[in-house]
Amino acid sequence: MKRSIVFSMMIALILCVVPLLIAAAKIGEPAPDFTATASNGKTVKLSANLGKYVVLEWHNNGCPYVGKQYNSGNMQRLQKQWTARGVVWFTILSSAPGKQGYVTASEENDYIAKMHATPTAALLDPTGEIGHLYDAKTSPQMVVINPQGIVIYDGAIDDKPTTDLNDIPGATNYVSLALEQAMAGKKVETPATRPYGCSVKYAN
Amino acid sequence: MRRHNSQPSLPASVTLGLAFLLSAANAGATQAPIPHGTIEIVAQNESIEPGRDFNLALHFQLEKGWHIYWANPGDSGEPPRVEWKMPEGITAEEIEWPTPHRLGSSTIVDYGYEDAVTLIVPMRTETNLAAQQSAQIGAQVKVLVCREMCVPGKAQISLTLPIKAQTAAPDNKTAGLFAAARKSLPQHAPRDWKFNVDATKGSFVFTGNLGHQTTSAIFFPLNESQIDNAAPQDVTPTAAGFRLTLRKSQQLLKPIARLKGVLVLSDDRAYWIDVPVSKPGLPQNNSGMNLQPQHFVEEEKAT
Repeated sequence: MKRSIVFSMMIALILCVVPLLIAAAKIGEPAPDFTATASNGKTVKLSANLGKYVVLEWHNNGCPYVGKQYNSGNMQRLQKQWTARGVVWFTILSSAPGKQGYVTASEENDYIAKMHATPTAALLDPTGEIGHLYDAKTSPQMVVINPQGIVIYDGAIDDKPTTDLNDIPGATNYVSLALEQAMAGKKVETPATRPYGCSVKYAN
Repeated sequence: MRRHNSQPSLPASVTLGLAFLLSAANAGATQAPIPHGTIEIVAQNESIEPGRDFNLALHFQLEKGWHIYWANPGDSGEPPRVEWKMPEGITAEEIEWPTPHRLGSSTIVDYGYEDAVTLIVPMRTETNLAAQQSAQIGAQVKVLVCREMCVPGKAQISLTLPIKAQTAAPDNKTAGLFAAARKSLPQHAPRDWKFNVDATKGSFVFTGNLGHQTTSAIFFPLNESQIDNAAPQDVTPTAAGFRLTLRKSQQLLKPIARLKGVLVLSDDRAYWIDVPVSKPGLPQNNSGMNLQPQHFVEEEKAT
C-alpha cells in the first residue's frame, strides 16, 4: 500500500516535471501551444493553425532594432509577402505593464494602422507567458513553425545585428530563407541564430 | 553645372584626402557625447615614434546604471564598433576587451560594462611615417547604450599626435587611465593549469585543475550561441580546482570544437582560455591552450 502511494507520487511528480522540460521551443520539435488574446479582440490558439506555416515576431515599438525593421518598411514587406502566400503571422507583445513596448490593445491597433503593418494578429502577452514558453530573449526575435507544428527556425531576423537602416538591403533575411527553403521541400540551412536585438522587457 | 563638369577631375586620392580633412575638421574633438554618457579618445604616449607600436584608448563614461557591451554581448545588445580614419602607415589592431560583467535578469543575461570602461586599442606604425609632422587619428564609433532600454549612438572623435623620431614619452595625464585599463584585462592562464571541456547532451562540463581548490568560477563565452547565457553556472569545488556546468544554448545545434572565453575566479583574477571540447567516451588527452588574447578577437572577427 505504502509502496503504491510512493509509486503514484512518483508518477505525479513525473507528470508535473515532464511538461516543464518539453515546454521551451526547440528546433525540430513541436512548437509549444498557447492561447492568447489578440489586439483585435479575438482569441488565438496556435494549434488551430496546424496545416499552415506560422511566423512569430517578438515586438517592442520602442526598441531601436525593431524601429530599424519598421521604419524601413522591411517588416511590413515581409508580413505582406508571406501572409499573401498563406503564412500566418503573429506579432507578439511580451513587454510587462510599465515597461518599454507595453501597449494596450487599442494602442497596438493604432500602431498597426500607422505603420501599415499586416500581421495576421498582434498577440497581447503582458505576463510574458508566451515569451517565456519560447524562451524569447529579444525583439525582434523570430520563430518559424511548419505546417506539422514543428519549429524550423528560431533566432534573428537577419544577419546584420545592428540598428542601422542602411544594413537592411544587403542583409540575408533568415525568416524568408527558412520559409523559402521549407516550402521548396528543402532542409532549412540555418535553423538557429543568435536572436539579436533589445532584451524582451519581462516583468522580472 | 557645365563649368563644374569642364573642370579637370581631381585624382581620387586628393578627393579622399580633402574629404578626410573636412571630416577631421568637423570631428576635431577628443571627446564627444553619446546617449547617456561621453566617449573620449586618449593616447598613452605624448608622441608617435615611426616604426614603434603605441596604444590609444576609447574611454566611455556612462550615467549611473547604463551599460555598453563586450565582444560577445550575450542575449541582447551589440558591442561598440569603431571605424578608424588615419594617415597611411598607421593601422589599428583589435580592441583589447576588459573582463566583462554579467548584466540582466534571471532569464536574459548580457555581457558588458556598467558606468565606465576603457577599451585599449594597440596601433601599428610603419617607418615611413617620418615624413609627416603629426598624425590625426579619427574614430567613428557606433555604440548601443542600454539600461532598462537601449539607445543607439554615434560619435566622431579624433586626436592629433606629433610624430617624433625619438622614443615617445608616456603622457602623465593618461597614465592612470591606462594602468587601470590594463588591470581590467584578462590574463593568460598559468602554463601549469589544465582545463577540460566535456560535451554532454545538454551541457558542457568545464573542469579546471589549478593545483588548489577553487570555490568561485564564472565563464564568459567569446562566441555567441554556445552556452545558455542566463542559465546558472553551477560550480563544484574539487580537490585541485573546480567543475563548472554550462548549459548549452538553445541555438547550438552542432558540436563545437573549442570553448573560448574568459574565466573569472575573483574580482581581480580573470583569464583567457581556449579549450578543445571532447565528446563523452573519447579519450581526454587535451589540456587547455593559453593563447594571446588578441588571437581570440581576430578569430571571432573572421568567423
